[in-house]
Amino acid sequence: MSEHHWGWLVAIYLFLGGMGAGSFIVAALVELSGERYKHKYCPTTMVGAGVSGPLILLGTVLLIFDLGAGLREPWRILNMFTNPQSVMTWGIWILSLFIPIAFLYGILEIMHVYPGILAGARKRLHFLPETLPYRNIKRIVCSVGIALALGTAIYTGVLLSVVRAVPLWASAILPALFLVSAISTGMGLCIDLAATLAIPDVHRRFKNLPLIHMVLIGLEMGLLALLLVTALNQGGEAARSAKLILTGDGSIAFWVLVIGFGMLYPFMVHVYAFARHSHGYVSGILSGVGIIIAGLFVRYIIVAAAIPVVV
Amino acid sequence: MEQELEGQVADTDGPLPEGDKRTGLSRRTFLKSGLGGVLMVAVGSKWIPFSQAMEQVETDYVMIIDLEKCTGCGACELACNQRNDLPEGKSFIHRVSKGDDPDCWCLPVQCQHCQDAPCEEVCPASATYHHPSGVVLVNEKTCVGCKYCAVACPYEARIYDEDTGVVNKCWLCLDYVLGGGQPACVQACVKGARIFGRRDGLEIAEILASGRTEVLHPEFGTKPGVVRYIFPGS
Repeated sequence: MSEHHWGWLVAIYLFLGGMGAGSFIVAALVELSGERYKHKYCPTTMVGAGVSGPLILLGTVLLIFDLGAGLREPWRILNMFTNPQSVMTWGIWILSLFIPIAFLYGILEIMHVYPGILAGARKRLHFLPETLPYRNIKRIVCSVGIALALGTAIYTGVLLSVVRAVPLWASAILPALFLVSAISTGMGLCIDLAATLAIPDVHRRFKNLPLIHMVLIGLEMGLLALLLVTALNQGGEAARSAKLILTGDGSIAFWVLVIGFGMLYPFMVHVYAFARHSHGYVSGILSGVGIIIAGLFVRYIIVAAAIPVVV
Repeated sequence: MEQELEGQVADTDGPLPEGDKRTGLSRRTFLKSGLGGVLMVAVGSKWIPFSQAMEQVETDYVMIIDLEKCTGCGACELACNQRNDLPEGKSFIHRVSKGDDPDCWCLPVQCQHCQDAPCEEVCPASATYHHPSGVVLVNEKTCVGCKYCAVACPYEARIYDEDTGVVNKCWLCLDYVLGGGQPACVQACVKGARIFGRRDGLEIAEILASGRTEVLHPEFGTKPGVVRYIFPGS
């Protein structure tokens, strides 16, 4: 596939931004619903809170590496806050607010799980309190953070969908697809992967989780199909982009990695998990890996299949 | 907005030259009539004086490219490359071949200096802006090189410069133009396919009034401001 102006770096950034936001949403919902406190140890909130900040920061660093003059003269990056008309400016603002919140949530979660950290710090810094009202603080951090996480996930789609010069992208379906994919990759990472690794029978405890995730994967497939079918019907460059994905250079990655391994397989795993109230250890991990790979490749394929309008 | 302006123009200044209603009236003529400050038109959600609205609609300069005269020799492309010290093979002008053999013709494309420029809208660093003359410029000191403008430009008029890390484009050789000269591509066109001048200049106004010129892809909704074409067979 020919990369137009943006390529892998931007695709990875969109993916990490989505997965980071998704992980935050999943962890924060488990926290806010009180589900976290029903277990002695909750790997989902631990991983979700712990990785969302670093993932988004890594994505942002990659985005900076894709810059030209902004990389050589980093103070120029401040200019990127200045155009309220630009979706990229919205994104920079959202990320600047979300990254600290996500890191704060991660630190609070780690301190909550390991009280020894605060106790240890207190030996040196005597002014520190003995303990903190973690649950109350996290409730505020999670509520604010969920809004910013939704903003992050949606903006990555809007960034592309406002580009009328690329008909494949110029669709309201794209932000919806990226949002659903963000939450799905977040669940893939925090539940299918992390929770399965830590507690093999995790789905016996969260009975409705496979159902929720199954619906999300189904929705993702539906939105992806809708995006491509609309593009095919639209004709012109949109149809050429869609054909590039369906039958052209991107088809192997699309059918094997995105549809097969990343959507159909996890979908079936979750149907099975819902019916049996359990994940197989191996199938849980594979499904998590598949969902994450699909999250990355669906973005790369969409970025790389950009065929601009013919002048 | 455009329709409202058309309405205003038609109401206040009598019949317009056919085929080019929007630009048929020179801003200066209109201002001389003294109505510019009195009439108010809606732009977006704001009411602004008509004279200001006209400023947003019209550019001072027009470049007409006569595709019946253009042979596709590429002299403009080369002149642009040399004038702007661009790396070999790069230019702010690119040629697109149109039509099938033997009736093929060449379409030279550069920045159209759109009034509703998508590159200006998406630029996070506010590095792309409109010069008061209506020409779209890039501030090389503030551009971060994110390439969002290159992605958003439907005319593919943006060139990423590896050396400076800045995305650049045709700036209409504004230094020449403001000094009373002509852009390098116009000077280089030996076939006389490029006609450049002030919008209210005699030659330009006459061709515009003839209604033979068209903007490239009006359906993009970008309202090209400077470049207009005379298409083969028009």
